[in-house]
Parts: sequence; C-alpha cells; structure tokens
Amino acid sequence: MSGTVNRRDFLKMMGLGGVSATLGGCDLPTTVTLEEGKEEVTSYLVPEEFVIPGVGVWYASTCAQCPAGCGINGRVREGRVLKLEGNPETALNHGKLCMMGQSGVQGQYNPDRVTTPMMREGGTLMPVSWDKAMAAIKDKLGAAGDRVAWMTGTISGHQAALVKNHLDAVGSARHYKYETINSAVWQAVNKDMLGHAMPRLRMDKAKVILSFGADFLGTWISPVHFAGEYAKFRTHNGRGTLIVAEPKMSITGGSADLWLPVRPGSEAALALAIANELMNAHGKDASALSPEQKALINSHGVDAVAKTTGVDAGRIKRIANMLNERTPSLVLAGATVEGQADGYNAVAAIMLLNVLLGNIGNTIEVPGDLPFAQLQAAQGSTRDLVAFANDAKAKQVDVALFYGANPAYGAPDALGVKEALDAIAFKVAVTLFQDETSMQADVVLPAASYLEDWGTHVAAYQGGQNAITMQQPLMEKLHAETRGFGDILLGLLQAAKKDEYGKFADYYAYLRNAYSAMPASYKSIAGNDEQSWNAALQTGLIKVDAPAKTIKVAAVAVNAPVAEKDDTQYPLRLVASARLGLWDGRHANLPWLQEAPDQISKVVWDSWAELHPATAEKMGIKQGDQIKVSSAHGSVTVQAVLLKGVHPDVIAIPMGQGHEGYGRYADGRGANPLKILNPIQEKKTGELALAATRVSISKTGEHDKVVHMGSSDTQMGRRLVVTIPAEQLRRTEEV
Amino acid sequence: MSLKNLFGNWSAYRRGNEEGGYHRDDYEHLWGMAINLDVCIGCNACSTACYAENNLAVVGKEKFAKGQAMHWMRIERYWDDSEKEFPERGASFLPMLCQQCNAATCEPVCPVAATYHTPDGLNAQVYNRCIGSRYCSNNCPFRVRYFNFYSYYESSWPEPLNMQLNPDLTVRDKGVMEKCTFCVQRIRVAKDKAKMATAPGEKPKVEDGSFTTACAQACPTSAITFGDYMDADSQVSKLWKQQQVVRRVAKQKKENTDLRGYRIFEELNVDPSIMYMERVREEV
Repeated sequence: MSGTVNRRDFLKMMGLGGVSATLGGCDLPTTVTLEEGKEEVTSYLVPEEFVIPGVGVWYASTCAQCPAGCGINGRVREGRVLKLEGNPETALNHGKLCMMGQSGVQGQYNPDRVTTPMMREGGTLMPVSWDKAMAAIKDKLGAAGDRVAWMTGTISGHQAALVKNHLDAVGSARHYKYETINSAVWQAVNKDMLGHAMPRLRMDKAKVILSFGADFLGTWISPVHFAGEYAKFRTHNGRGTLIVAEPKMSITGGSADLWLPVRPGSEAALALAIANELMNAHGKDASALSPEQKALINSHGVDAVAKTTGVDAGRIKRIANMLNERTPSLVLAGATVEGQADGYNAVAAIMLLNVLLGNIGNTIEVPGDLPFAQLQAAQGSTRDLVAFANDAKAKQVDVALFYGANPAYGAPDALGVKEALDAIAFKVAVTLFQDETSMQADVVLPAASYLEDWGTHVAAYQGGQNAITMQQPLMEKLHAETRGFGDILLGLLQAAKKDEYGKFADYYAYLRNAYSAMPASYKSIAGNDEQSWNAALQTGLIKVDAPAKTIKVAAVAVNAPVAEKDDTQYPLRLVASARLGLWDGRHANLPWLQEAPDQISKVVWDSWAELHPATAEKMGIKQGDQIKVSSAHGSVTVQAVLLKGVHPDVIAIPMGQGHEGYGRYADGRGANPLKILNPIQEKKTGELALAATRVSISKTGEHDKVVHMGSSDTQMGRRLVVTIPAEQLRRTEEV
Repeated sequence: MSLKNLFGNWSAYRRGNEEGGYHRDDYEHLWGMAINLDVCIGCNACSTACYAENNLAVVGKEKFAKGQAMHWMRIERYWDDSEKEFPERGASFLPMLCQQCNAATCEPVCPVAATYHTPDGLNAQVYNRCIGSRYCSNNCPFRVRYFNFYSYYESSWPEPLNMQLNPDLTVRDKGVMEKCTFCVQRIRVAKDKAKMATAPGEKPKVEDGSFTTACAQACPTSAITFGDYMDADSQVSKLWKQQQVVRRVAKQKKENTDLRGYRIFEELNVDPSIMYMERVREEV
C-alpha cells in the first residue's frame, strides 16, 4: 500500500461490508480460495497474479446464452466473474445485454452443475475418471465410422470447424444442428429470392415496420441488436410506425402502434391483400414481380381476404396507404408464419411486399460473404431434429455425442425421440447440467462453462461491422474436473489424427496457432502477431471486412398458401410461444429468469395457457382454472390466463417449463407444450411446423391462484403511463 | 447524516414535504433519471441487471404470490382502459423503481431515521439502523420499498451461487427494508475516482457518462438516462430542460404543453427525481 492511502480509504476500496471478502481479526483483508474442496485463507499481501484486491477488472468475451452471439464484458474481482455487461466494441449489441445474457453468471455458479465425468454402470451413472471416460468413447468411436453423430445447437467459429474435422476424421457427415427457436424458413426464402439467407435489415432506415409474427425485440435472430436498431427507428426519420400481426402478443407486439390478432396460417393472405391494394389502388410499380406473382396478388382482393381473416377491410386499406406513403419500410415474417405446413409459401408471399415496396436493396441489404467458410455459423433447425430421430430409429447411428442440445426435452413426443435415443448403442453428453438427454447418456462429460473456456464465434446475423468474436476464460474453472468443449474435441481429434493435432497442448494453443495462421489483414497491429492477438482479446473481436453486395431479386415461384381447414374435434390452434427468458427451455434452471415475470402475461415460476376472454367465456373457463389441452398426440394440463392479446381461435402456451431432471429450479414446474405438437413438417424445408397443431381443451375442475406481478391490469385512471399521438411528438421533438 | 445532525435539524427535516425538499441549496450532486417510455420494450433486461448488481434475493413462487418479491426495478404492464376486443395499441410498459423523491414521504415517518436524504439527493436506507417498522413502505406511493420477511441468504444463494454476489454491497437480513439505491456503490466508485483525479483543493468533477446504473447500462434500447441534475451539461439535465420539467413543484407549468416529460405522482408534492417521457402511438 502506498503511503497516501489511509486505512479508512483502504477499507472503503475493499467494499462496504463485502460478503465473502471479509475482514480478518487482525484487520488484514483476506480472500477465500477453493482448492481441492478445501478452503484456505490467503492474505491479500500475497495477491494472485492479475488480481488487484478490491478492484474489478473487465474482460471481453462472447455470450452463449442464445445463438445471437453478443459481445460481453465480464467484471472479474478476486478471481470470480461477478457481472456481465454488453461489450460496447461490438456493432451487434453496442454495449447492451438482455436478461438471458445477464443471467449467464447463474449458469456459471449454478448449484446443479455436473462436476465429474460419469459412466453408466449397471444402469446408473457412476463417477469415473476422465481417462476412463475418454478411453471408452475412443473405443466406441473407433469402430463406428459413418455411424457416429454429433448433435449440437447453433455452433460457429473454431468449435464448429473442429466438430466437422472430428466427423471427417472418423468418416461421418452426421452433424445434426438443432434449435427450436430459429428462422430457417425465412432464411430459405431469402436464399431463393435474394441469393443470401441472412440479409442485413436496416430498421434504422425504415419508416414503417410491418411484422408478421417476427418477434425481433424478444426472440427473433438477434434481439439485442434489433432492439438497438428499433430505438433508432423510433427516434429518427420522424418516428417509425410499427405494425404487428400475430396470433399471440409477443414483446414486439406489445410495442406496436397497431397490433392485429391473426389466425396462424392467415398471415400470407393478409399480406397479399395489402399487396393487392398497393398494386391496384395505389399503382405501385410491380415490374419487379413475375406475372405469376402478380396473378397471385390479384387473386387476393381486399374484401375477400377481410372476410376470411376477420381483419377489417378498411384497416387493410389504411395499412396499404401508410406503406405507400412512407417509404422505405420493412416487412418481416417470423415463427408463427414459418410454423405452418405451407410456411415457405406464406413467408415468400410476405416477402413479395418488400419487393413491391422497393425495400430490397434499401432496408434489406445483402452483406458480403464472410471469409473462412469453416468458421461460419452452422445454424440449428428442427429439420435436423426430425432427421436425427428418423436416422436413429432406422438404426443408422451407433454413437451419438451431444453438446448444447437437449432433444429429449424439446422434441414432440410424436417424433419418437425416446425410441431414437434407445436405439443408439452409445450416447455421450458433453454438458454443464444434467438434463433430459444427458440422463439417458452412457457417458456424461462435465463441460466448462462459456465463462471458463476459450473459443471463437461468428454470429449468423452480423451487425454493422462484421466480426469474429472472441471467447476467453473470465475465471479459473470453478470445478476442477470440468473440461472445455474445445479441449474435449481436441482430445478426440488427437486420438483420430495424432500427426495433425498432436502438437497442440490444449485448445488455447490450437486457437492461438489458428490466429497466427490468419492473413495479415486480420491483425490490427501490423507485423505484430502477439500484440494483435492481445488486442483481439481486449476488444473481444477480430474485425472482418466484407463489402455489401448488390442484390438481384429472383422471381421465385410463390404458390397460393393453402389455408388449413377447420377441425371440429380440435377447434383451437396451439401456439407454443417462445419467451425471452426461459427461451426454448434451456434457461429454466436459472432462478433470476424463473422469477422474472413474463413480459406480457406477467406470470412467474410456472406454465400457463393464454386464452382470449371471449373464448374462455364460451367454455366457462375462468382465470386460474386448470385446463387440459389435448392434441392428437398427447395432452398437457396448465392454468388458464385470460388475455385480450390472443386471437380467439388460439391458445398460447409458452415454452420453457415442464422439465424432468434439469435441476432444482426447473423440475416439476408447469408443462412443456412442445411435447404435444403434431409432427407436421413444413412442405418445402422440412422444418417442424410449430404453429400448426390443433387442440381441444377441457376443464379439470381444479383451480389455483395465478401467481403474477401486479394487481391491476389497467391504470385505474392514474397518470402512470401517458400516451400521446405521434403528431404531438413530431411537433415537439426532433425525431 | 449522523443521528445528532438529524435530530438537530428535525423540524427542517419534517418540513421537507411542504417546502419542497431538504438540503435546499447545498446538494453536491442531484442524481436523476429520464426514462423514455416510447422506446421501453418491457424486456426485463434492466430488472435482471438489477438482480445481478444489487444482490437481490430470489424468493420463489409461494412468496412471490404473497407480494414478497424483491425486484427493486420492476416492469409494470398495463392495458388501455378501452372496451375494445383486442389491445390494438399494444401494452404500456412502465419501469418502476424508487423515484429518489426529494421530498420523500418515506423519510419523515421512519421512527429511527433509517431512511434519510443524502447530500447527493438520494433517498438512502441505512440497513443497520432499520428496525423493520415498515412505516416507510406503507407511506410510499410508488410501492418500491421491499421488506426482508426472511433471511433470504439462507435459501436464495445455495453454494456456489453465492459466489456471484457483488462484494461492493451487502446481502440484507430479515427485518430490514431495502430499495433501489441508484446503484450507490457505482456512484461511490465514480466519486472516489474523480476525487483521486483532482488536485487537492479543487472540486472533483464526476464526468457525465463515466458511469451509469446497472439498469441504464443494460437497457437494449437505451430508454434510461442517468446522471447528475446539478451538472447542466449532463444528458439527464438536458433532457429535463428540453422537456421543461423542473424540480420542487407539485405541478409543472410548461411553456409548451405538448412536451411529453412528466413525473409520476408529482401532485403529491414528493418531488420525484425520475422524469418519464410519454408513450407515443400512431393512429393506423
């Protein structure tokens, strides 16, 4: 300590009443370190390397809580990561971080983490040594050849490259990438129409955004990025107008100027009617459309569509009028449109609006191709889940390795994933927590968390600045027996290809070597590899230039989307809605996210079914009644919550709960709506049609209080949230 | 504020409400906020960031049902009062946290002066002085004071979850009232840093934007602006000025009545330190 700091200042620096940094009897600050399960008290006079007692240091890394891949800064103090913030260096999340990203520390320190390798002996998983576990895996891999499969979530960077290299080494091409929440159908349409699956969306330039079920502020592609762009949209260009048409109000719908309830499957007709009005009433230039596309639009007259969708004709005309007057605009299509048997055509029909409105090349840009094809995001889909289930049931998979994917929880029962898993002779789960899939594994390998591990990531959706983002350990491994995913992959590769991978002591060495091998243009400090590497770690990213391309719109054949017929046995349409929070169920073990109220219904710690009050009244259902929701493939029992933000023909049950074997915070809560979905596949892409299941409901006679935040749904005349017309804002503020 | 000082100025202290606040002219800082409700999307990022920063206890479903949740920052969601079949204008989201009232109704009712006003304009809570009478919570019109009915450290952070706890502030025990502090631990660090960077004898200046609260830092749409109202160049004071919202009044007298800045419950003469900016909707 220097002479200028007195004892009082020193203590102040140490934190006021620190919890684990306590003061010893002789007034010397002490720290508690965990070593081999033994607590040792070490004086701060002997500080660890890089540790300044009482001072938090920020390290950059990449968030892994959802596939968006935001940059994070972790606050590290006394060797522990305490708080995560967004990394301001990234164009993607511009220093911001969502609730799931914030909760990364609760996964890191979760009391239910797997801390030791386990192997099945006599039917139960028993702790074993790493050597024994890895030997068993290598033994099984040796003979399996093309019957080896990896199943992961969305994966990118050098981890993706190593998974591929590992499969190549054993002679297999089976990499199943599985994400329930994805934008695969939308991307397939873009690929065909624009030549690029993931165009860059310029919400900041748009004056109107019309979203058909794309919850871009909550669960769609890169929510934190889009939220930042949305803020620009609302505060520039005269304040943009947001119109959202969807079956169940999402977070994005909650912020809409106009929220329209639509039956799942009727969105495309609505979009085509708007296009019809633009083309015929407003004379919009339709030269970019093919004759077939024009004919399709012409066959959707406003009045006829108004009748079938239940959306007022005058309203359709007003939306068309606004889109005509305010350009550029942006039209999006999300999960409830994609999740139909005819989802591709529905999304394509909606995309025609962008073509007609001249948004292509304006608010929809095509980014240049990123270099290093092997590092690009291998995005998850549900098509791969179906393929996995079918292949495994057909006895084509002998050894399956799982990382970041939990098919036993997320797959509809009708897909038979349980039988598929039973049919696989040897299953390995690389995981942080025991979950429904790892419980059925033969070997469970405890993974280091993303806050303890090395890696690189390439976000599937890049913001304004293309980049490879860095992941570096923010702290020592909390549990000594855990191992990084990259290290596990490297271990497997070293067994298969000793000559190529034997030289790397660990995954860090591999990454460091890979960075050195990159062309000089990726080094921020010319001629100095070491300093460039350090700079990449400090900023958390390697910038990549990929100039935007010009777009040529291909005249994709769009068939009239087939509206599904009514079903008298199952009168309601089930929407298994995604939550920013529990996501697809992977975050149900994080208590902050369980206790955070759902943004729209405000319910906590449970599952519920959202019903329109009119529908509920017809069936004699009251708020809090337990209802049985049955499809052709099963049933779940959940509590009814009456909300006006649902189409009367729809029942919405959020994903995320209904876990069995996912730790103390997740287990025994609510129900999983994914289980009862019909195994309908989207016709063109093979994606699971997640919004195409019909259900019937019946009362069980049970009733419980709905536990939610807030006692009043309205402001009761108080001046809490005041609403003004946009005109008034434009008069007073420069927007 | 020492107890001696407090009791010495008791009458001034009690008059706060009628005269528009304490420390009339001797504030060092006057921390305040502006929250733009037109870009708030109700996503809960702020609220979760607050849990992470301020060691807030997770109480579980049963206690949540009894209204014992400890969310210092919560997002209230209201529907329009209309009789319409659908909420066609979306939801109204309201981030609600302690308004750090300058003439706070919670302060004069505390029998032990555990809640008092700092020269920073903060409505502070002294945990080790609090005896848990809950008068303050009863008297708070915003319902933003949270009482520890239990010793949550026994259940909320099973090992090793406790390793996440922020060592810059305490974990509160049973019988103590707690609330939003405007991240006083961050304010303290910023002030200390400014002090260290200032030559002796000169007044330290905390640069606007050199730090912010956990909620404002996390907010994906930057709806929350935090800063020093006494610093005329700060973002927050510029916003207040732009909206013609002033302190120490029970009713704003705006030159331009179209401006959308307002303070919730200011008619109660509590002089809140948070200005909200009205939600905007376009007719389609």
